[in-house]
Amino acid sequence: MPGILPYIVRRLLWAPFVLLAVTLATFALGRFGPGDPIEVLQGQYNNPEVVERIREERGLDDPFFNQYGRYMWDALHGELGTSSTYLGVAVEDIIFEKMWVTVQYNLLALIIIFAVGLPAGIWAALRQGSWQDPFTISFLLLFRSLPVLVTIPILQYIFAIKLGWLPSSGWVERDILGLKLGIFDKRIIMPLLVLSLPGIAAVARLMRAQTLEVLDQDFVRTARAKGLKEFVVVSRHVARNALLPMTTIVGFALVGLLGGSLFVETLFGIPGIGRFVWEAVGNRDYDVLMAVTLITAAAFIVANLVTDIAYGFIDPRVRLGGRGGG
Amino acid sequence: MRALWLVLGALAATTAVVVGVAAALVMGGGDDNENGPSATKTPEAQTTGTPSGATSDETLRLLGNDPISMDPACASDVESATYVVEIFGGLVTIDRDLNTVPDIAEAIPEPVQNADGTVSYAFQIRKGVLFHNQSRQVAAEDVKYSLERALNPDTQSPIAETYLGDIVGAKEFASTGEGGVSGIQLDQADPYKLTVTIDAPKPYFLAKLTYPTAFVVDRNQTEGTSCFTNTNWQRRANGTGPFKLKEWDLGQKIVLEANSRYHLGAPLLASIEYNLAGGSAVTMYENDEIDVTGVGLNDIERVRDPSEPLNAEFQTAPRMDIWYIGFNVEKTPFDDVKVRQAFAHAIDKDKLIGVVLKDAVIEADGILPPGMPGYNENLQGLEFDPVLAKQLLSESEYGDDLPAVEIASSGRGASVGPVSEAILGMWKENLGVDVAIRQTESATFFQDLRDGDFQMFEVGWVADYVDPENFLKVKLYGDSKDNESNYRSAEVDSLLEQADVEQDTAQRLALYQQAEQIIVNDVPWIPLFHDEYSVLIKPYVKDYVLPPFVIPRMRYVHIEK
Repeated sequence: MPGILPYIVRRLLWAPFVLLAVTLATFALGRFGPGDPIEVLQGQYNNPEVVERIREERGLDDPFFNQYGRYMWDALHGELGTSSTYLGVAVEDIIFEKMWVTVQYNLLALIIIFAVGLPAGIWAALRQGSWQDPFTISFLLLFRSLPVLVTIPILQYIFAIKLGWLPSSGWVERDILGLKLGIFDKRIIMPLLVLSLPGIAAVARLMRAQTLEVLDQDFVRTARAKGLKEFVVVSRHVARNALLPMTTIVGFALVGLLGGSLFVETLFGIPGIGRFVWEAVGNRDYDVLMAVTLITAAAFIVANLVTDIAYGFIDPRVRLGGRGGG
Repeated sequence: MRALWLVLGALAATTAVVVGVAAALVMGGGDDNENGPSATKTPEAQTTGTPSGATSDETLRLLGNDPISMDPACASDVESATYVVEIFGGLVTIDRDLNTVPDIAEAIPEPVQNADGTVSYAFQIRKGVLFHNQSRQVAAEDVKYSLERALNPDTQSPIAETYLGDIVGAKEFASTGEGGVSGIQLDQADPYKLTVTIDAPKPYFLAKLTYPTAFVVDRNQTEGTSCFTNTNWQRRANGTGPFKLKEWDLGQKIVLEANSRYHLGAPLLASIEYNLAGGSAVTMYENDEIDVTGVGLNDIERVRDPSEPLNAEFQTAPRMDIWYIGFNVEKTPFDDVKVRQAFAHAIDKDKLIGVVLKDAVIEADGILPPGMPGYNENLQGLEFDPVLAKQLLSESEYGDDLPAVEIASSGRGASVGPVSEAILGMWKENLGVDVAIRQTESATFFQDLRDGDFQMFEVGWVADYVDPENFLKVKLYGDSKDNESNYRSAEVDSLLEQADVEQDTAQRLALYQQAEQIIVNDVPWIPLFHDEYSVLIKPYVKDYVLPPFVIPRMRYVHIEK
């Protein structure tokens, strides 16, 4: 694979500019938007002189680019500012912990989604024309269509109140090999159901469509004509080709893990990043929002790159960096 | 305490419980996080608990939210105060009957009038009051340090002046930070004596000292800290209150542990665990994961149903607050009193409260909430009268040619709450006026409110302390900074000024009642309703006091399983 190294270098050279644009935009939205941490703390009290004095002392009245420059300089030194949701607490002391929580349960959900969704999609495609195909897909679609605001209370009612099998919510961490893990507790079961069922439906549907497309290809017919066993045809020729486009989804799904879900985290009492960011918006917590934006943007750049490179390895037809390749 | 508190409380409730209908609850919803009632006042609980420790091994489990600040000098919202009042203490505190009683002070001092018009209070500090880490006893010096720290501009407290500004020299010190506050004097001969001098006789001054801003903090922890920097000490906050902060895991939980040496009587609980990570409150309660929960409008009909088992655990209690529609009386068309009166007469409060709010609140005719001294049962409110409303509108200087009207509200649901929706509907139906609505989240809302940007707004106000001054003078006095209506009536101002210094309580309350009636007739506000707690409490939780605003109350609670 020639040209892969220059390609990576070129992509990495672009990264700072992307990050600059993203942070500049976010910073501007925060600074020019109304309200600031002092407003939040002050609440309904009205003492304009005091507020003005504090704003001045905290440098909130400095020119925009001074503030932005100061922020970025600190960020490059690993200081992501201070939170105003937890007043004065360093952002880096909070968000990584919260992100870790969110990543844990989302990663597990993602694994389940693909582990179940991919085979289900192939299975449905192979049964096209029989009742099993539409039945499977519409059954899955049902979960895809129900909003979590509906499914969560129903699950809680069934499993917590009626059956009494599970606590309705919570996040209990255990120390396993020095890691604080919350996914080895029964409280994780309901969030996992809520997250993975719609995901499975989406993946299965996509996988079904891909499989059907591949099944129509000449090489499949050839493989069958050669007298290969159906299992070999499906696993070696069909599945492998149908999986290709799914790589892209995995890449971005991984980044999506950082986002978390406000509803899932709030209704299940999971102290993750989704709920925290939502609170940060309400609290005008600029520094937290900046940090999350910065980290997510960086993760997207990396994921994008990794996906592209992985594509090149999985499918030799894809040429990186070349003009008009492929 | 404070109105922001109320909005934040409602927002917090929505965060924890009903994200989907968040906006619906911002106005007048249930605070689903709130910890419940027990307005029942059993006298023996007052005296139980001696420093020897009547503490049990029981833990109370509640749903809570993270405080924005655990620093008493900075805390201004309901969530923060809920914890701060349990962990810290000041010279005086509020008991469960809402009386101002001694805390670190040995007794409530008599105010002494000085020749120059100022008034002094000589506090004797109780001996043997220890900080939680038992490092040392609290002396007058600690109180002076704490008050001056709150006012020090380096602390950057946006609220200290509001609460401590009556003290002589406080305002000067708050802007320069030089010297000290001249009105706070130590006694060379007695390290347990402290004299506080205020600028004029103010019957409500001691009540203001029960607010967290005046609480005692540990100098060893707080030197060099401010509201916005070096706040890590707050997670090991060292106070003198009935409970010690044992653990604060951001966003996860707060654990308070009984201070068995508490000088007003040790708490009866061993500890309190606040779950900060959220969850479905009523479901958690039903599943025995928490012991107390607030009930939102979504669940209220179910728990009120006598055939529902939860009904036996349901309690309500009033809160000292008011929700109202405010007019900016300097903006068209509300500069004409007839337009304001027309808008007030066009609202059918019975319907609003009965249908929309499911009777979970108390209708407001005047400004002062029930329970507040001076609350006037005979006050003449503006009744629902659509005919009169229309007539007033056409008699106004705008006649039937009303300029565009917009009401501002606070919330973040992007949909209009049911209260606003109902009121807008009534104005449309009864006045034929289309009112637009502008919704912003609370920080922006309050900024615009202070800037006087709104024609009309819906908002609440919660008592900071039990004195009518906190509502009438703070919100509706011509020169008050918090008078967002820009209402100014010479008659009202003069009555409020007289009331400020009137020493005879009955006479004083009568002055407030006169002022209130004039205000109601002038309609800078349309009073809508006073909130109520709607709470579920497990039967084994006893003496769960439901105060009308934030007070230290956890030391009365006990669990009997």
